[in-house]
Amino acid sequence: MSWIRKGELTLIERLSANILKAGPMPKHVAFIMDGNRRYARKLHVERQQGHTQGFDKLAETLRWCLNLEIREVTVYAFSIENFKRAKDEVDGLMELARQKFSRLLDEQEDLEKHGVCIRVLGDLTLLPLDIQKLIAQAVLATKNHNKCFLNVCFAYTSRHEITNAVKEAAWGVEQGLIKPSDVSEFLLDECLYTSNSPDPDLLIRTSGEVRLSDFLLWQTTYSCLVFQSILWPEYSFWNFCEAILQYQLNHHALQKARDLHAEARVLQQLEADRCCAAELLQQTGLGKPLDPQLRQEAVQKYTAEREGRVHSFLTVLQEKRDRFFTDLNKGSIASAKA
Amino acid sequence: MMAVVYEFVWRMLHALLHLQRTILSWFRISIWNWNWRLWRRAVAAVLVPAVFGFQNHPHNNKKLVPGGGKKSCGRVRWKSDGKSLEKLPLHVGLLIAEEEPRYTDIANLVVWCMAVGISYVSVYDNQGIFRRNNSRLMDEILKQQQELLGLDSLKYSVEFLNKSNEKPEQQVLSCQATVKVLSPDDGKPSIVKAAQKFCQLVEHQQQRSTDLDVNMLDSLLRGTKGMPDPDLVMKFGTVDSTLGFLPWHIRLAEIISLPSHINIKYEDFFSALKCYAGCEQRLGK
Repeated sequence: MSWIRKGELTLIERLSANILKAGPMPKHVAFIMDGNRRYARKLHVERQQGHTQGFDKLAETLRWCLNLEIREVTVYAFSIENFKRAKDEVDGLMELARQKFSRLLDEQEDLEKHGVCIRVLGDLTLLPLDIQKLIAQAVLATKNHNKCFLNVCFAYTSRHEITNAVKEAAWGVEQGLIKPSDVSEFLLDECLYTSNSPDPDLLIRTSGEVRLSDFLLWQTTYSCLVFQSILWPEYSFWNFCEAILQYQLNHHALQKARDLHAEARVLQQLEADRCCAAELLQQTGLGKPLDPQLRQEAVQKYTAEREGRVHSFLTVLQEKRDRFFTDLNKGSIASAKA
Repeated sequence: MMAVVYEFVWRMLHALLHLQRTILSWFRISIWNWNWRLWRRAVAAVLVPAVFGFQNHPHNNKKLVPGGGKKSCGRVRWKSDGKSLEKLPLHVGLLIAEEEPRYTDIANLVVWCMAVGISYVSVYDNQGIFRRNNSRLMDEILKQQQELLGLDSLKYSVEFLNKSNEKPEQQVLSCQATVKVLSPDDGKPSIVKAAQKFCQLVEHQQQRSTDLDVNMLDSLLRGTKGMPDPDLVMKFGTVDSTLGFLPWHIRLAEIISLPSHINIKYEDFFSALKCYAGCEQRLGK
């Protein structure tokens, strides 16, 4: 498989991996693969070479993840901000994407054998149509695989993603499927491009920069952030182990913080449901029933109804998203037949 | 059998790392009035093999300001320090990722920010402690302002922005720095509220869902008393996470970690600013 390098760990790498696996391991790792251009400058080669090496390093890193039983990986491949780069560089990156996605389609058997599910996250309408079609094919072909997941953020920024999620919720209100008060953290979670993935446990950024650059801002609020100064094409297995060790050192504190936030979220939702239920009772002229039992029942009824509305809306949303890919795919099948 | 061995080695490894962390923090707290940085480097050299040197602490890679930062000439020096940097952040977020906050030290940090010329400072912890003890923090800041800036404290004024009382509390006429206390409610819950607001407009057909773009959501989030996005997040403590601090606003913020805010020295604060001044933002290009 061109996207996942063949090979096994050396003996000492395997030993280290086994030691690390004795502790808590991240289930989902996100990478900001920074430093390709600086690497190319360092080696006095073309920028495009830097990006190609960067892709090879990704393939190697995915191999390490499989060896370490890390089943989900998200990578920041191309930001919407990157469209600002020089035309030849952007064209070069698009060409690289074209080659790699086409190659992927040739390796469908391998992908099936290893159960690799590929997802591409971002505003795909910003990309050239032929790349959109290739992506659609790759995504549909691997949709039902469930052994490991690779999420490629392409034409992506976190703010666009969050804005899009709010837009979807607003669309749901427009369609009469949900009410504005149904909008919650949970609902927005499900409206993001990453709705099918858990939040990343670990985010690694290479090349020494210490910022998030508009990547998974919503999803990484309680992730372990590791900034490493090595350039991406030079990333080694030991750098990766270092990052995982960092995750393990932070694991307990982050779990505690996450639990605190989850508790607060549940309480906020309950409070919101109480207010809405009380408002409804007011509107139906029943006023505030003195019996706490009746009040409790009203809240429970409201919660059940809200959850029902949200569930239907999310089903419709999923269908809308699937249709985007199937329509693109139909287009490519039609043009292939013609 | 092998699983037991691996687990044993793992436990030893983590015990060593925790020991290193404990010793370093003990040194930092108990001998703060010595030239502990020299001690710390010596101790670190002994205890930390090169492969574990992964923390991006400013004092590891930047030269420190030469000694002589005594309180009396502090404020003159602080202003010129600020001017000497290539760039100064407009808004600094102080992210306290430690269990027990020390109000005096945080107040010092806020006052130093003001003194070097930073216009906006926010203070955050992920348990909402500062939000609940807002007035205590404000009092401490005013006290430290008086102590550290002395006579000049009249020139520096602080505007406290608070969600609970919309009217800002000003101490003097001119306004030079704005301080805001933040909690996790200012993160995702605020984004949810902005989303609900927009959905209400859509429900009343004052907007269409397709009208929303990044700039519109940004203004909905910023509100009327909005501060600029933080350019620098100074994170205090050993937890490597933003812990829910303003997720929308920190998209381009540099995140610089410092081991602790307890007994924080001006030199360490300033070396973090120097680290920030050296960062190059390409903005996607």
